[in-house]
Amino acid sequence: MRVRLLLVLALGLAPALCAAQTVQNATLRKAQQAFDNLEFRPALSGAQAALRERLTGFERARAYELLGFTYSGMDSILRAVDAFKQVILLEPERDFDPTRTSPKALSAFQVALTQVLVIRQLHVDSVTFVGGQGVVAVRYTVTQPARVVTRVLGGGPQTSLRIDSTVASGQVNIRWPARLASGDPVPAGDYNIVVEATVGQNNFSTSQPIRVTHGAVDTLPHLTSLPGYTYLPETEVPPKSWKPMGLALVYTGIALAGTSAFSSGDLGKTSLREGSLIGGGVILAGFVMTLRKPAPQPARGNILYNQLLREQISRRNTEIAQENTRRRQQVALSVVPVARQGGGR
Amino acid sequence: MRVERWNVGMMERLMATSIVLLSIIPSFQLSAQHFSVGPQIAFGDYREVSSDLHYRGSGIAGSATLQWKQFSADVVLSKLKYKPSNDGTATKEFDASQVDVRLRYYITGPVSAELGFMNRKADPEFEAQSVGAVTAGAQMAYLLGPGVRMALSGGLLFGSKYSGGGSTSALGALQLGLGLTVDALRGRVRVTGDYGFQRFSRKTNDGSGDFPAPIQQSLGRIGFALVF
Repeated sequence: MRVRLLLVLALGLAPALCAAQTVQNATLRKAQQAFDNLEFRPALSGAQAALRERLTGFERARAYELLGFTYSGMDSILRAVDAFKQVILLEPERDFDPTRTSPKALSAFQVALTQVLVIRQLHVDSVTFVGGQGVVAVRYTVTQPARVVTRVLGGGPQTSLRIDSTVASGQVNIRWPARLASGDPVPAGDYNIVVEATVGQNNFSTSQPIRVTHGAVDTLPHLTSLPGYTYLPETEVPPKSWKPMGLALVYTGIALAGTSAFSSGDLGKTSLREGSLIGGGVILAGFVMTLRKPAPQPARGNILYNQLLREQISRRNTEIAQENTRRRQQVALSVVPVARQGGGR
Repeated sequence: MRVERWNVGMMERLMATSIVLLSIIPSFQLSAQHFSVGPQIAFGDYREVSSDLHYRGSGIAGSATLQWKQFSADVVLSKLKYKPSNDGTATKEFDASQVDVRLRYYITGPVSAELGFMNRKADPEFEAQSVGAVTAGAQMAYLLGPGVRMALSGGLLFGSKYSGGGSTSALGALQLGLGLTVDALRGRVRVTGDYGFQRFSRKTNDGSGDFPAPIQQSLGRIGFALVF
Protein backbone atom coordinates (compact mmCIF):
# COMPACT_ATOMS: atom_id res chain seq x y z
CA MET A 1 0.00 0.00 0.00
CA ARG A 2 2.77 2.38 0.96
CA VAL A 3 4.71 1.49 -2.18
CA ARG A 4 1.66 2.24 -4.33
CA LEU A 5 1.19 5.59 -2.64
CA LEU A 6 4.81 6.51 -3.23
CA LEU A 7 4.49 5.46 -6.87
CA VAL A 8 1.41 7.64 -7.39
CA LEU A 9 3.11 10.60 -5.71
CA ALA A 10 6.23 10.11 -7.79
CA LEU A 11 4.22 9.96 -11.02
CA GLY A 12 2.25 13.04 -10.00
CA LEU A 13 5.29 15.09 -9.07
CA ALA A 14 7.45 14.06 -12.00
CA PRO A 15 6.17 16.69 -14.49
CA ALA A 16 6.54 19.42 -11.88
CA LEU A 17 10.12 18.35 -11.15
CA CYS A 18 10.95 18.23 -14.84
CA ALA A 19 9.37 21.66 -15.33
CA ALA A 20 11.58 23.08 -12.60
CA GLN A 21 14.67 22.19 -14.65
CA THR A 22 13.34 23.29 -18.04
CA VAL A 23 12.68 26.72 -19.42
CA GLN A 24 8.96 27.47 -19.25
CA ASN A 25 9.13 31.18 -19.94
CA ALA A 26 7.98 31.84 -23.52
CA THR A 27 10.06 34.95 -24.02
CA LEU A 28 13.18 33.18 -22.94
CA ARG A 29 12.42 30.20 -25.13
CA LYS A 30 11.93 32.51 -28.08
CA ALA A 31 15.22 34.23 -27.32
CA GLN A 32 16.94 30.85 -27.08
CA GLN A 33 15.49 29.87 -30.45
CA ALA A 34 16.76 33.12 -31.98
CA PHE A 35 20.22 32.45 -30.57
CA ASP A 36 20.15 28.95 -32.01
CA ASN A 37 19.39 30.55 -35.39
CA LEU A 38 22.35 32.90 -34.88
CA GLU A 39 20.02 35.86 -34.70
CA PHE A 40 21.90 37.68 -31.94
CA ARG A 41 19.85 40.92 -31.84
CA PRO A 42 16.48 39.19 -31.27
CA ALA A 43 18.16 36.83 -28.88
CA LEU A 44 19.66 39.73 -26.93
CA SER A 45 16.44 41.69 -26.71
CA GLY A 46 14.49 38.53 -25.90
CA ALA A 47 16.81 37.61 -23.06
CA GLN A 48 16.74 41.10 -21.62
CA ALA A 49 12.95 41.12 -21.86
CA ALA A 50 12.77 37.77 -20.15
CA LEU A 51 14.90 39.05 -17.28
CA ARG A 52 12.30 41.74 -16.66
CA GLU A 53 9.67 39.04 -16.29
CA ARG A 54 9.06 36.69 -13.36
CA LEU A 55 11.54 33.80 -13.74
CA THR A 56 12.64 30.86 -11.72
CA GLY A 57 16.23 30.73 -10.54
CA PHE A 58 17.02 28.22 -13.22
CA GLU A 59 15.40 30.35 -15.93
CA ARG A 60 17.18 33.44 -14.68
CA ALA A 61 20.50 31.64 -14.88
CA ARG A 62 19.65 30.47 -18.41
CA ALA A 63 18.68 34.01 -19.38
CA TYR A 64 22.02 35.43 -18.17
CA GLU A 65 23.82 32.54 -19.81
CA LEU A 66 22.07 33.34 -23.09
CA LEU A 67 23.10 36.95 -22.66
CA GLY A 68 26.68 35.92 -22.04
CA PHE A 69 26.80 33.73 -25.12
CA THR A 70 25.08 36.36 -27.23
CA TYR A 71 27.49 39.12 -26.08
CA SER A 72 30.38 36.77 -26.75
CA GLY A 73 29.05 36.17 -30.24
CA MET A 74 28.74 39.91 -30.71
CA ASP A 75 32.32 40.41 -29.39
CA SER A 76 31.06 42.41 -26.38
CA ILE A 77 33.38 40.64 -23.99
CA LEU A 78 32.93 42.93 -20.98
CA ARG A 79 29.19 42.58 -21.12
CA ALA A 80 29.56 38.88 -21.65
CA VAL A 81 31.73 38.72 -18.54
CA ASP A 82 29.09 40.66 -16.58
CA ALA A 83 26.40 38.26 -17.75
CA PHE A 84 28.48 35.21 -16.88
CA LYS A 85 29.19 36.70 -13.41
CA GLN A 86 25.46 36.64 -12.79
CA VAL A 87 25.34 33.04 -13.99
CA ILE A 88 28.11 32.12 -11.57
CA LEU A 89 26.43 33.90 -8.68
CA LEU A 90 23.19 32.06 -9.44
CA GLU A 91 24.81 28.70 -10.12
CA PRO A 92 28.30 28.59 -8.68
CA GLU A 93 28.82 25.03 -9.91
CA ARG A 94 27.98 25.94 -13.49
CA ASP A 95 30.60 24.86 -15.99
CA PHE A 96 30.80 24.62 -19.74
CA ASP A 97 32.06 21.82 -21.88
CA PRO A 98 35.21 23.23 -23.55
CA THR A 99 34.67 21.03 -26.59
CA ARG A 100 31.18 22.37 -27.23
CA THR A 101 31.58 26.01 -26.21
CA SER A 102 33.03 28.78 -28.29
CA PRO A 103 36.44 29.92 -27.11
CA LYS A 104 35.23 33.49 -26.75
CA ALA A 105 32.40 32.52 -24.46
CA LEU A 106 34.67 30.18 -22.56
CA SER A 107 37.30 32.85 -22.00
CA ALA A 108 34.63 35.34 -20.92
CA PHE A 109 33.32 32.75 -18.48
CA GLN A 110 36.82 32.16 -17.13
CA VAL A 111 37.33 35.90 -16.65
CA ALA A 112 34.00 36.11 -14.89
CA LEU A 113 35.08 33.34 -12.55
CA THR A 114 38.09 35.34 -11.45
CA GLN A 115 35.94 38.39 -10.73
CA VAL A 116 33.39 36.69 -8.53
CA LEU A 117 34.09 35.19 -5.14
CA VAL A 118 32.54 31.75 -5.09
CA ILE A 119 33.47 28.36 -3.83
CA ARG A 120 32.92 25.67 -6.37
CA GLN A 121 33.21 21.94 -6.63
CA LEU A 122 33.10 21.23 -2.93
CA HIS A 123 33.59 17.49 -2.72
CA VAL A 124 33.79 15.13 0.21
CA ASP A 125 35.02 11.65 -0.58
CA SER A 126 33.19 8.63 0.75
CA VAL A 127 35.54 6.89 3.09
CA THR A 128 35.59 4.29 5.83
CA PHE A 129 38.42 4.08 8.29
CA VAL A 130 39.24 3.24 11.85
CA GLY A 131 38.78 6.25 14.08
CA GLY A 132 42.05 8.07 14.53
CA GLN A 133 43.76 6.20 11.72
CA GLY A 134 42.37 7.87 8.63
CA VAL A 135 41.19 11.14 7.18
CA VAL A 136 38.27 12.48 5.19
CA ALA A 137 39.41 14.18 2.01
CA VAL A 138 37.65 17.51 1.38
CA ARG A 139 38.42 19.63 -1.68
CA TYR A 140 36.98 22.74 -3.23
CA THR A 141 37.92 25.52 -5.56
CA VAL A 142 37.86 29.16 -4.51
CA THR A 143 37.74 31.57 -7.45
CA GLN A 144 39.51 34.50 -5.82
CA PRO A 145 42.25 34.77 -3.23
CA ALA A 146 40.32 34.81 0.03
CA ARG A 147 40.37 33.78 3.65
CA VAL A 148 38.60 30.46 3.61
CA VAL A 149 37.37 28.84 6.79
CA THR A 150 36.10 25.27 6.75
CA ARG A 151 33.83 24.09 9.55
CA VAL A 152 31.90 21.02 10.42
CA LEU A 153 28.48 21.72 11.90
CA GLY A 154 25.80 19.46 13.27
CA GLY A 155 25.90 16.00 14.76
CA GLY A 156 24.97 17.43 18.12
CA PRO A 157 23.57 20.55 19.72
CA GLN A 158 26.86 22.41 19.93
CA THR A 159 29.15 20.64 17.54
CA SER A 160 31.04 23.17 15.48
CA LEU A 161 34.52 22.17 14.54
CA ARG A 162 36.83 24.43 12.64
CA ILE A 163 38.86 22.05 10.56
CA ASP A 164 40.78 24.51 8.40
CA SER A 165 41.43 28.19 7.96
CA THR A 166 43.61 29.40 5.17
CA VAL A 167 44.13 32.10 2.57
CA ALA A 168 43.82 30.34 -0.71
CA SER A 169 42.95 30.61 -4.37
CA GLY A 170 42.22 27.80 -6.75
CA GLN A 171 41.86 24.24 -5.65
CA VAL A 172 42.23 23.50 -1.95
CA ASN A 173 42.62 20.04 -0.46
CA ILE A 174 41.87 19.41 3.21
CA ARG A 175 42.37 16.23 5.22
CA TRP A 176 39.96 16.01 8.13
CA PRO A 177 40.71 13.31 10.70
CA ALA A 178 37.05 13.33 11.87
CA ARG A 179 38.06 13.74 15.49
CA LEU A 180 36.82 15.98 18.24
CA ALA A 181 39.11 18.31 20.13
CA SER A 182 39.47 15.59 22.76
CA GLY A 183 40.79 13.22 20.12
CA ASP A 184 37.72 11.01 20.15
CA PRO A 185 36.05 10.17 16.87
CA VAL A 186 33.12 12.44 15.99
CA PRO A 187 29.78 10.98 17.08
CA ALA A 188 27.60 9.37 14.47
CA GLY A 189 25.09 11.70 12.84
CA ASP A 190 24.42 14.14 10.03
CA TYR A 191 26.89 17.00 9.59
CA ASN A 192 27.45 19.86 7.23
CA ILE A 193 30.87 20.77 5.98
CA VAL A 194 30.60 24.52 5.54
CA VAL A 195 33.22 26.45 3.62
CA GLU A 196 33.20 30.23 4.00
CA ALA A 197 35.32 32.50 1.89
CA THR A 198 35.76 36.19 2.75
CA VAL A 199 37.47 39.00 0.89
CA GLY A 200 36.78 42.44 2.37
CA GLN A 201 33.05 42.88 2.38
CA ASN A 202 32.48 40.00 0.01
CA ASN A 203 31.84 36.61 1.35
CA PHE A 204 30.56 33.35 0.06
CA SER A 205 29.75 30.12 1.73
CA THR A 206 28.74 26.71 0.58
CA SER A 207 28.16 23.46 2.33
CA GLN A 208 28.12 19.75 1.76
CA PRO A 209 26.05 17.53 4.00
CA ILE A 210 27.68 14.35 5.13
CA ARG A 211 26.52 11.43 7.20
CA VAL A 212 28.86 9.85 9.72
CA THR A 213 28.07 6.36 10.91
CA HIS A 214 29.85 4.22 13.44
CA GLY A 215 30.55 0.54 13.03
CA ALA A 216 32.57 -2.17 14.62
CA VAL A 217 36.09 -2.57 13.38
CA ASP A 218 36.56 -5.89 11.64
CA THR A 219 38.49 -8.31 13.75
CA LEU A 220 41.03 -10.65 12.27
CA PRO A 221 40.27 -14.37 12.06
CA HIS A 222 42.59 -16.70 13.90
CA LEU A 223 44.97 -18.67 11.79
CA THR A 224 44.84 -22.41 11.43
CA SER A 225 47.61 -22.46 8.88
CA LEU A 226 50.12 -20.14 7.33
CA PRO A 227 49.54 -19.42 3.65
CA GLY A 228 52.02 -21.34 1.57
CA TYR A 229 53.04 -23.59 4.43
CA THR A 230 51.45 -26.95 5.10
CA TYR A 231 52.09 -29.50 7.79
CA LEU A 232 54.32 -32.36 6.77
CA PRO A 233 53.64 -35.98 7.75
CA GLU A 234 55.36 -36.72 11.04
CA THR A 235 55.98 -40.31 10.13
CA GLU A 236 57.33 -41.75 6.94
CA VAL A 237 57.43 -45.28 5.67
CA PRO A 238 61.03 -46.28 5.03
CA PRO A 239 61.81 -48.21 1.87
CA LYS A 240 61.42 -51.96 2.11
CA SER A 241 64.66 -53.64 3.11
CA TRP A 242 66.08 -56.92 4.27
CA LYS A 243 67.22 -55.38 7.51
CA PRO A 244 64.60 -57.13 9.70
CA MET A 245 65.54 -60.50 8.26
CA GLY A 246 69.24 -59.74 8.54
CA LEU A 247 68.98 -58.56 12.11
CA ALA A 248 66.83 -61.54 13.07
CA LEU A 249 69.53 -63.81 11.68
CA VAL A 250 72.25 -61.87 13.48
CA TYR A 251 70.42 -61.86 16.81
CA THR A 252 69.56 -65.55 16.56
CA GLY A 253 73.09 -66.38 15.43
CA ILE A 254 74.59 -64.53 18.36
CA ALA A 255 72.28 -66.29 20.80
CA LEU A 256 72.97 -69.76 19.41
CA ALA A 257 76.66 -69.19 18.84
CA GLY A 258 76.94 -67.76 22.34
CA THR A 259 75.17 -70.80 23.73
CA SER A 260 77.61 -73.09 21.97
CA ALA A 261 80.61 -71.03 22.86
CA PHE A 262 79.80 -70.61 26.50
CA SER A 263 78.66 -74.17 27.09
CA SER A 264 80.91 -76.18 29.30
CA GLY A 265 82.77 -78.94 27.53
CA ASP A 266 82.39 -81.17 30.55
CA LEU A 267 78.62 -81.24 30.12
CA GLY A 268 78.55 -82.89 26.73
CA LYS A 269 76.99 -81.73 23.52
CA THR A 270 75.18 -78.45 23.86
CA SER A 271 71.41 -78.50 23.62
CA LEU A 272 70.25 -76.00 21.02
CA ARG A 273 66.65 -77.23 21.00
CA GLU A 274 65.26 -74.34 23.04
CA GLY A 275 67.37 -71.68 21.34
CA SER A 276 66.61 -73.04 17.88
CA LEU A 277 62.87 -73.01 18.51
CA ILE A 278 62.78 -69.44 19.71
CA GLY A 279 65.42 -68.38 17.18
CA GLY A 280 63.38 -69.97 14.41
CA GLY A 281 60.44 -67.88 15.51
CA VAL A 282 62.57 -64.77 15.45
CA ILE A 283 63.88 -65.53 11.95
CA LEU A 284 60.37 -66.28 10.72
CA ALA A 285 59.15 -63.00 12.18
CA GLY A 286 62.08 -61.20 10.54
CA PHE A 287 61.27 -62.81 7.18
CA VAL A 288 57.60 -61.87 7.42
CA MET A 289 58.45 -58.34 8.43
CA THR A 290 60.84 -58.08 5.50
CA LEU A 291 58.02 -58.96 3.13
CA ARG A 292 55.56 -56.66 4.85
CA LYS A 293 55.31 -52.93 4.42
CA PRO A 294 57.73 -51.38 6.92
CA ALA A 295 56.32 -49.61 9.94
CA PRO A 296 56.15 -45.83 9.66
CA GLN A 297 59.09 -44.21 11.37
CA PRO A 298 59.05 -40.75 12.98
CA ALA A 299 60.40 -38.18 10.53
CA ARG A 300 62.46 -35.97 12.83
CA GLY A 301 62.92 -33.20 10.30
CA ASN A 302 59.21 -33.03 9.59
CA ILE A 303 58.39 -33.12 13.30
CA LEU A 304 60.70 -30.17 13.93
CA TYR A 305 59.28 -28.34 10.93
CA ASN A 306 55.71 -28.89 12.15
CA GLN A 307 56.71 -27.79 15.62
CA LEU A 308 58.16 -24.57 14.20
CA LEU A 309 55.03 -24.06 12.12
CA ARG A 310 52.78 -24.61 15.12
CA GLU A 311 54.85 -22.17 17.19
CA GLN A 312 54.71 -19.61 14.40
CA ILE A 313 50.92 -19.95 14.07
CA SER A 314 50.53 -19.80 17.83
CA ARG A 315 52.68 -16.66 18.00
CA ARG A 316 50.73 -15.08 15.15
CA ASN A 317 47.42 -15.98 16.80
CA THR A 318 48.60 -14.37 20.03
CA GLU A 319 49.36 -11.21 18.07
CA ILE A 320 45.97 -11.44 16.35
CA ALA A 321 44.24 -11.85 19.71
CA GLN A 322 46.00 -8.73 21.01
CA GLU A 323 45.16 -6.86 17.81
CA ASN A 324 41.50 -7.96 18.05
CA THR A 325 41.34 -6.81 21.67
CA ARG A 326 42.57 -3.42 20.51
CA ARG A 327 40.20 -3.36 17.55
CA ARG A 328 37.19 -4.14 19.71
CA GLN A 329 37.89 -0.87 21.55
CA GLN A 330 38.00 1.06 18.27
CA VAL A 331 35.23 2.37 16.05
CA ALA A 332 34.99 2.27 12.28
CA LEU A 333 33.90 5.63 10.88
CA SER A 334 32.01 5.77 7.59
CA VAL A 335 31.67 9.21 6.04
CA VAL A 336 29.28 9.51 3.12
CA PRO A 337 28.35 12.76 1.36
CA VAL A 338 24.62 13.39 1.16
CA ALA A 339 22.90 15.05 -1.81
CA ARG A 340 22.99 18.83 -1.49
CA GLN A 341 19.90 21.05 -1.39
CA GLY A 342 20.65 24.15 -3.52
CA GLY A 343 23.92 25.99 -4.03
CA GLY A 344 25.97 28.45 -2.02
CA ARG A 345 25.33 32.06 -1.32
CA MET B 1 61.51 -83.30 54.40
CA ARG B 2 58.98 -81.05 56.02
CA VAL B 3 61.11 -78.04 55.19
CA GLU B 4 61.32 -79.08 51.53
CA ARG B 5 57.55 -79.53 51.34
CA TRP B 6 57.11 -76.09 52.89
CA ASN B 7 59.51 -74.60 50.36
CA VAL B 8 57.70 -76.13 47.38
CA GLY B 9 54.34 -75.05 48.72
CA MET B 10 55.66 -71.57 49.32
CA MET B 11 56.91 -71.35 45.76
CA GLU B 12 53.63 -72.47 44.28
CA ARG B 13 51.69 -70.13 46.51
CA LEU B 14 54.08 -67.31 45.61
CA MET B 15 53.58 -67.95 41.91
CA ALA B 16 49.82 -68.17 42.20
CA THR B 17 49.60 -65.06 44.38
CA SER B 18 51.91 -63.14 42.07
CA ILE B 19 49.91 -64.05 38.99
CA VAL B 20 46.65 -63.12 40.68
CA LEU B 21 48.08 -59.85 41.94
CA LEU B 22 49.61 -59.00 38.60
CA SER B 23 46.29 -59.74 36.93
CA ILE B 24 44.45 -57.42 39.31
CA ILE B 25 46.89 -54.52 39.13
CA PRO B 26 45.97 -53.53 35.56
CA SER B 27 42.41 -52.76 36.65
CA PHE B 28 43.88 -49.67 38.28
CA GLN B 29 44.71 -46.65 36.22
CA LEU B 30 47.89 -47.29 34.27
CA SER B 31 47.61 -44.56 31.72
CA ALA B 32 51.25 -43.48 31.84
CA GLN B 33 52.66 -46.96 31.59
CA HIS B 34 52.28 -50.26 29.85
CA PHE B 35 51.72 -53.46 31.69
CA SER B 36 51.45 -56.99 30.39
CA VAL B 37 50.98 -60.25 32.14
CA GLY B 38 50.37 -63.76 30.91
CA PRO B 39 51.10 -67.46 31.11
CA GLN B 40 53.73 -69.39 29.20
CA ILE B 41 54.71 -72.94 28.46
CA ALA B 42 58.27 -73.61 29.49
CA PHE B 43 60.65 -76.29 28.30
CA GLY B 44 64.27 -76.71 29.19
CA ASP B 45 67.49 -78.62 29.23
CA TYR B 46 69.46 -78.92 32.45
CA ARG B 47 72.97 -80.29 32.92
CA GLU B 48 75.10 -80.43 36.00
CA VAL B 49 78.65 -81.53 36.85
CA SER B 50 79.07 -83.88 33.87
CA SER B 51 77.26 -85.10 30.79
CA ASP B 52 75.80 -87.90 32.86
CA LEU B 53 73.52 -85.58 34.80
CA HIS B 54 71.40 -84.47 31.88
CA TYR B 55 67.73 -83.59 32.31
CA ARG B 56 65.02 -82.37 30.02
CA GLY B 57 61.75 -81.03 31.20
CA SER B 58 58.74 -78.86 30.68
CA GLY B 59 56.35 -76.88 32.79
CA ILE B 60 54.55 -73.64 33.15
CA ALA B 61 55.64 -70.09 33.59
CA GLY B 62 54.15 -66.70 34.08
CA SER B 63 55.65 -63.42 33.12
CA ALA B 64 54.77 -59.83 33.85
CA THR B 65 56.29 -56.73 32.31
CA LEU B 66 55.86 -53.16 33.41
CA GLN B 67 57.09 -50.22 31.34
CA TRP B 68 57.27 -46.70 32.65
CA LYS B 69 59.11 -43.99 30.80
CA GLN B 70 62.68 -45.27 30.33
CA PHE B 71 62.30 -47.99 32.91
CA SER B 72 60.89 -51.45 32.55
CA ALA B 73 60.74 -54.44 34.80
CA ASP B 74 60.27 -58.11 34.04
CA VAL B 75 59.22 -60.73 36.54
CA VAL B 76 59.25 -64.33 35.33
CA LEU B 77 58.17 -67.25 37.46
CA SER B 78 58.62 -70.72 36.03
CA LYS B 79 58.22 -74.21 37.31
CA LEU B 80 59.57 -77.16 35.34
CA LYS B 81 59.67 -80.83 35.99
CA TYR B 82 63.05 -82.09 34.82
CA LYS B 83 63.29 -85.74 33.93
CA PRO B 84 66.53 -87.64 33.38
CA SER B 85 67.56 -87.75 29.76
CA ASN B 86 68.14 -91.06 28.04
CA ASP B 87 71.77 -90.23 27.34
CA GLY B 88 72.58 -89.72 31.04
CA THR B 89 72.84 -91.77 34.15
CA ALA B 90 70.53 -89.73 36.36
CA THR B 91 67.59 -91.69 37.68
CA LYS B 92 65.41 -89.25 39.58
CA GLU B 93 63.41 -86.36 38.29
CA PHE B 94 63.15 -83.07 40.13
CA ASP B 95 61.18 -79.84 40.03
CA ALA B 96 62.92 -76.56 39.33
CA SER B 97 61.15 -73.42 40.44
CA GLN B 98 62.78 -70.31 39.13
CA VAL B 99 62.24 -66.63 39.73
CA ASP B 100 63.82 -64.04 37.45
CA VAL B 101 63.52 -60.37 38.22
CA ARG B 102 65.05 -57.83 35.88
CA LEU B 103 65.00 -54.07 36.03
CA ARG B 104 65.86 -52.38 32.76
CA TYR B 105 66.83 -48.83 31.95
CA TYR B 106 66.82 -47.58 28.37
CA ILE B 107 70.14 -45.96 27.52
CA THR B 108 70.27 -45.15 23.83
CA GLY B 109 69.42 -46.59 20.43
CA PRO B 110 68.57 -50.24 20.94
CA VAL B 111 70.59 -50.60 24.14
CA SER B 112 69.20 -50.94 27.65
CA ALA B 113 71.00 -51.82 30.86
CA GLU B 114 69.69 -54.64 33.01
CA LEU B 115 70.03 -55.39 36.70
CA GLY B 116 68.23 -58.07 38.66
CA PHE B 117 68.43 -61.38 40.37
CA MET B 118 67.54 -64.99 39.76
CA ASN B 119 66.74 -67.82 42.09
CA ARG B 120 66.18 -71.42 41.19
CA LYS B 121 65.18 -74.03 43.70
CA ALA B 122 65.39 -77.73 43.08
CA ASP B 123 63.00 -80.16 44.70
CA PRO B 124 64.07 -82.70 45.97
CA GLU B 125 66.86 -80.52 47.17
CA PHE B 126 69.63 -83.06 46.68
CA GLU B 127 68.76 -84.00 43.11
CA ALA B 128 70.05 -80.71 41.70
CA GLN B 129 71.64 -77.52 42.85
CA SER B 130 69.51 -74.65 43.99
CA VAL B 131 71.15 -71.43 42.92
CA GLY B 132 70.72 -67.73 43.37
CA ALA B 133 72.63 -64.82 41.85
CA VAL B 134 72.54 -61.16 41.04
CA THR B 135 72.35 -60.47 37.31
CA ALA B 136 73.79 -57.51 35.45
CA GLY B 137 73.95 -57.04 31.74
CA ALA B 138 72.54 -55.33 28.70
CA GLN B 139 69.76 -55.80 26.23
CA MET B 140 69.56 -54.86 22.58
CA ALA B 141 66.03 -54.57 21.27
CA TYR B 142 64.93 -54.03 17.70
CA LEU B 143 61.55 -53.36 16.18
CA LEU B 144 61.28 -55.81 13.31
CA GLY B 145 58.02 -54.34 12.13
CA PRO B 146 54.72 -53.00 13.39
CA GLY B 147 54.16 -54.69 16.75
CA VAL B 148 57.00 -57.17 16.35
CA ARG B 149 60.04 -56.79 18.60
CA MET B 150 63.03 -58.95 19.21
CA ALA B 151 65.59 -58.58 21.93
CA LEU B 152 69.00 -60.05 22.58
CA SER B 153 70.34 -59.87 26.09
CA GLY B 154 73.48 -60.96 27.84
CA GLY B 155 75.06 -60.52 31.19
CA LEU B 156 76.95 -61.88 34.08
CA LEU B 157 75.67 -63.57 37.22
CA PHE B 158 77.41 -62.28 40.28
CA GLY B 159 77.55 -63.63 43.81
CA SER B 160 76.25 -67.05 42.91
CA LYS B 161 75.18 -69.16 45.88
CA TYR B 162 74.59 -72.87 45.62
CA SER B 163 72.69 -75.15 47.96
CA GLY B 164 75.46 -77.72 47.69
CA GLY B 165 78.26 -75.24 48.20
CA GLY B 166 80.91 -74.24 45.76
CA SER B 167 81.91 -70.98 44.20
CA THR B 168 82.20 -69.24 40.88
CA SER B 169 84.68 -66.63 39.75
CA ALA B 170 83.51 -63.13 38.89
CA LEU B 171 83.26 -63.93 35.19
CA GLY B 172 82.38 -67.58 35.64
CA ALA B 173 78.63 -67.30 35.44
CA LEU B 174 76.82 -65.80 32.53
CA GLN B 175 73.52 -65.78 30.76
CA LEU B 176 72.26 -65.16 27.24
CA GLY B 177 68.73 -64.42 26.15
CA LEU B 178 66.71 -64.07 22.98
CA GLY B 179 63.15 -62.81 23.00
CA LEU B 180 60.38 -62.17 20.55
CA THR B 181 57.06 -60.41 21.13
CA VAL B 182 54.32 -60.06 18.56
CA ASP B 183 51.37 -57.77 19.22
CA ALA B 184 47.99 -59.17 18.30
CA LEU B 185 44.38 -58.05 18.59
CA ARG B 186 45.30 -54.40 18.20
CA GLY B 187 48.01 -54.65 20.79
CA ARG B 188 45.79 -56.01 23.54
CA VAL B 189 47.47 -59.39 23.41
CA ARG B 190 51.15 -60.05 23.02
CA VAL B 191 52.48 -63.41 21.85
CA THR B 192 55.79 -64.04 23.54
CA GLY B 193 58.72 -66.36 22.98
CA ASP B 194 61.82 -66.28 25.16
CA TYR B 195 65.00 -68.22 25.28
CA GLY B 196 67.43 -68.11 28.18
CA PHE B 197 70.77 -69.82 28.59
CA GLN B 198 72.60 -69.90 31.92
CA ARG B 199 75.97 -71.32 32.67
CA PHE B 200 77.65 -71.40 36.06
CA SER B 201 81.32 -72.46 36.08
CA ARG B 202 80.95 -73.74 39.59
CA LYS B 203 83.88 -75.23 41.41
CA THR B 204 83.82 -77.26 44.57
CA ASN B 205 86.60 -78.03 46.91
CA ASP B 206 86.44 -80.98 49.28
CA GLY B 207 89.94 -80.33 50.55
CA SER B 208 91.72 -81.98 47.65
CA GLY B 209 91.60 -78.95 45.41
CA ASP B 210 89.10 -77.28 43.10
CA PHE B 211 86.82 -79.62 41.29
CA PRO B 212 84.75 -78.31 38.36
CA ALA B 213 81.04 -78.84 38.84
CA PRO B 214 79.39 -76.66 36.17
CA ILE B 215 75.69 -76.06 35.93
CA GLN B 216 73.98 -75.22 32.68
CA GLN B 217 70.39 -74.63 31.73
CA SER B 218 68.68 -73.76 28.45
CA LEU B 219 65.13 -72.59 28.98
CA GLY B 220 62.56 -71.78 26.35
CA ARG B 221 59.20 -70.17 27.05
CA ILE B 222 56.30 -69.63 24.67
CA GLY B 223 53.07 -67.97 25.67
CA PHE B 224 50.97 -64.88 25.50
CA ALA B 225 50.35 -61.86 27.63
CA LEU B 226 47.48 -59.48 28.07
CA VAL B 227 48.51 -55.89 27.60
CA PHE B 228 46.95 -53.14 29.69
